[in-house]
Amino acid sequence: MLKCRDVPAEAEALLDGELSLGRRMALRLHLFMCGNCRRYLRQLRQLLGAVPHMHGDASDEEVDKVLSHLHDHSH
Amino acid sequence: MTEPLNDADELALLKGGDQAAFARLVKAHHRALLALARPIVGESEAVEVVQTAWIKAHAALKDFEGRAALRSWLSRIVINEARMMLRQRKREVFLEDLQPEGAEPFADRFRGNGHWGAPPVNWHADSPDSLLTREELADCLSALLDSLPSNQRALLELRDSDGLPFDEVCNMLGISASNARVLLHRARARLFALVDHFEETGEC
Repeated sequence: MLKCRDVPAEAEALLDGELSLGRRMALRLHLFMCGNCRRYLRQLRQLLGAVPHMHGDASDEEVDKVLSHLHDHSH
Repeated sequence: MTEPLNDADELALLKGGDQAAFARLVKAHHRALLALARPIVGESEAVEVVQTAWIKAHAALKDFEGRAALRSWLSRIVINEARMMLRQRKREVFLEDLQPEGAEPFADRFRGNGHWGAPPVNWHADSPDSLLTREELADCLSALLDSLPSNQRALLELRDSDGLPFDEVCNMLGISASNARVLLHRARARLFALVDHFEETGEC
């Protein structure tokens, strides 16, 4: 039986698309019975969804600097 | 926050050499690319590496086939530039020690019987976007990213921020899949623990 302690690693493997059918079923069964682990997985999914946006947008100054280098390079 | 730029119209503009579209591309991805280059070449060289990568990307955009997301495509260019710079300067150390060290980050949250002793609190945010709308939390996360060991940072950037396939990331960094899994788990666990702590206390 899967223990809560095993869930963080299994949840990551699930979100990385690396979980075999058997392990997926074992995880699903555990989640069915365990609210803490359901919450863990839901919030992990949210967190990993936010990572690509964590750095925010560049400032106008940064963008201008890149574009002016580009301009110098092409002339 | 700028909307994702890899929709068909924006891509057509980019491939046609539209300068405003290119400026939007730089705005949306520049900081993430700097964050990717930093753990590999260091703070002072990262700007130069990313700048050169933008020049290469600008020249190559017309041939971009859209098989990968633009961010992944840009990341590959940055990694190539970073490697070239390291080679030119004959620097051999690619990343600091790649062996995972220390305790498993969640170890103290479980009881002896394997159940949660300190389960995650219920987060207020209900979507990835709403997680980042609180400025204090975004600042806490960015400080944590800066403090992670460079190998964990590089993995998190390539895999979770830039969306590159796991195998490719391992090859790029010259690291075994089993080490990469442990390191990536540590980085993710520390991010999770930070958000969880912030949700509970309002502090980093």
